[in-house]
Amino acid sequence: MTKRSPLAGIALYTTVIGVCVILLFPIYWMFLTALSPRTQLRVYPPNFLPRDPQWTVFSDLLASQPFGLWMWNTILIAVATMILSLTVGVLAAYALSRHRLRGGQALGLFILTSKMLPATLLVIPLFAIFKSVGLVGSLWSVVIAQATLIVPFATWMLKGYFDTIPPELEQAALVDGCSPLGALIRVVLPVASPGLAATALYAFVISWSDFLYARTFLTTSESQWTLNVGIATLKGEFVTDWNTIMAASLMAAVPIIGVYLFLERYLVGGLSAGSEK
Amino acid sequence: MIDFSSPKHRSKFGYLLLAPAVILMALIIIYPILLSVDISLQDVRIARIGGDHAPWTTKNYEWLFHSEEFWNAISVTARMVLIVGGISLIIGLATALLVNQNFKGRALARLFVALPWAVPEVVATVIWAWMLDSSFGVINWMLLKTGLVSQAVQFGSNATAAFMAVCFVMIWKGYPLVSIMLLAGLQSIPAEQYQAAKVDGANVWQRFIYVTLPNLAPVIGVTSVMTTLWVFRDFSIIYVLTQGGPIGATTTLSMLTFEQAFAFFRMGQGAAVGVVTMIICAIISRALVGRFAKSVH
Repeated sequence: MTKRSPLAGIALYTTVIGVCVILLFPIYWMFLTALSPRTQLRVYPPNFLPRDPQWTVFSDLLASQPFGLWMWNTILIAVATMILSLTVGVLAAYALSRHRLRGGQALGLFILTSKMLPATLLVIPLFAIFKSVGLVGSLWSVVIAQATLIVPFATWMLKGYFDTIPPELEQAALVDGCSPLGALIRVVLPVASPGLAATALYAFVISWSDFLYARTFLTTSESQWTLNVGIATLKGEFVTDWNTIMAASLMAAVPIIGVYLFLERYLVGGLSAGSEK
Repeated sequence: MIDFSSPKHRSKFGYLLLAPAVILMALIIIYPILLSVDISLQDVRIARIGGDHAPWTTKNYEWLFHSEEFWNAISVTARMVLIVGGISLIIGLATALLVNQNFKGRALARLFVALPWAVPEVVATVIWAWMLDSSFGVINWMLLKTGLVSQAVQFGSNATAAFMAVCFVMIWKGYPLVSIMLLAGLQSIPAEQYQAAKVDGANVWQRFIYVTLPNLAPVIGVTSVMTTLWVFRDFSIIYVLTQGGPIGATTTLSMLTFEQAFAFFRMGQGAAVGVVTMIICAIISRALVGRFAKSVH
């Protein structure tokens, strides 16, 4: 590495800090607005630093809206989606990585197709199907619909990880009398755990962010809503209570931001590896 | 009980592992696509399944090609793809090059730069809706303060402003992924190529043009396809920010599909728009992927 002149160093740091500040400003603004007293929201010039933070906004929100319930629904959907797509994805990815199968190509096509589909197109037939089997209004409808997005991607990402694991590993286990499924669970999966973590988190983040499916399938009762549906409705109804809406947004964003900050390395690595192929 | 560890049954085990994925995909992707085509060919108000099948008709497609709404949606989508895709690519590449430099705190910078990607779309949109508020939003305050505008911009009712606002939110939300991918692409370029170029006397700019760009071409191709399809698919940002308005200024093909199907309950027309969108997306990704794949070899 060549040595940088002090001037170039200053220019570099100024640019990096400037870019980060501009990019993260909206997230900061969400925090600031959530904690601002209602009277401070309409002052000109706006306050750029917290003044008299109001922590009661969160308890007000929980008292006035079924917010806890929405969060619970969101968590249930995200966890169920994660388990479903990971289970299906692991099996398929392992099959594609270890066995030369006819139809492997077709799965590649599936993946491309699902990336290409306008979700608003899928939502029409899925609505019809769920309606006929009585799933409209059930959280399961959203879980199943989200699998359309996540299973193909999870399969692809995991196949990449399995490809990097030497097959001799589970062959040794097979020789020792392990069943093929046992070899996958006991030998391959522990080695692939970073890949599993990245895929699980990807599934979780995508599921947590869904709006379209929840908005279309869960309209029957407010108690079935997810955070995103609730927030979008709050925005429509109470245009003036920006601090309440920002508090709700904060609670919806913090779990995901937390997940991201802790596991950025895996997540970003897995994403870019999965999509480069 | 079949012994799957015997070589004779090995491939059976493979198919068994693949089966859940194939069945699931067939049920939730392939069948719905076929069903969509079927619905788009019927004059139905509410999607029916198992009920009596309406006779097939091309009415929905005729409506499509004669309606102004459809052509407007095509134009809105195309402009949005060009603006969001183009700007995301340019600033995504700039950011990737920036955080690819060797400096202290680089890991932290990378962490921050990709953060908007993790914010749920609805949340991102709601934040921007508040920042873009015409009377008390911080954006209007900044615009007025810097003298860029003399009057607060009405992002809700001004067609151009609403369109730009949607593009802006999409770029903020979508471009971190572009820079993540380009950064991964940059890191896979062998250092020897840069050294060789340096030995040959290439300056920074020449190294960028002759080493960086050709190496990045495949990643740029994949990223462009991804961004394009994402803009085509996007529903949350537009729906929450503008609901497709004012007067169709932000009604993309996705919004039109949803509007026809779930606001006007014209399932047939909605499905027709969706099917056409899918075909356009297929053509675009095919063309783009093919082109960039060629430039590699």
